[in-house]
Amino acid sequence: MPFQEKSAWVMSLALLLGSVFYFGVVAAMSEGISQLAPPTAPVVAAFTVILVVAAILGHVAIAVFSPKDASEPLDEREREIFHRAGHVSGNVFGIGAVTSLGIYLLSGSGTVLFYGVFISLIISQLAEYGIRIFLYRCSI
Amino acid sequence: MTQAELGDAIGVTRQTVIAIEQGRYSPSLESAFRIARHFGVGLEDVFSWNE
Repeated sequence: MPFQEKSAWVMSLALLLGSVFYFGVVAAMSEGISQLAPPTAPVVAAFTVILVVAAILGHVAIAVFSPKDASEPLDEREREIFHRAGHVSGNVFGIGAVTSLGIYLLSGSGTVLFYGVFISLIISQLAEYGIRIFLYRCSI
Repeated sequence: MTQAELGDAIGVTRQTVIAIEQGRYSPSLESAFRIARHFGVGLEDVFSWNE
């Protein structure tokens, strides 16, 4: 398996881990106040720390098994894969952000706007990693 | 010659060499020339194109 495909798996798992933590905390907070809990900086910071630590540990682990591949720059096929995945990811995020803005206009809730954009960001990143994996395995 | 050795020689990964061999990826003109020159043959001795 190419290093960059392993990297996409690592980032997907790190993002899923962080998301499960984040939305688990938000769900617990929301249950306590019987409404959607507003975003708080400490929880976002904890999410970021989990994501960064998981990504670093994961990349160190895959680099140990293939140190040569880890230091190689992207080749022409990989650049195309990254370009295509990034293009789709950008579109997914754009659609999510515009939808969130529309929901904000209707609801007037900044909390909903924050979560809408946050979820769009997570989904767009997962889409990018998923498309990279798909292209590495099945297409070009 | 292994796929990894060819990849190193022309500046692509082993997976890209495999993708080229399997016809899943069309290399850039630059890489195609590098492959042909590496084997000391012409471009059309290595690659073909069916309309």
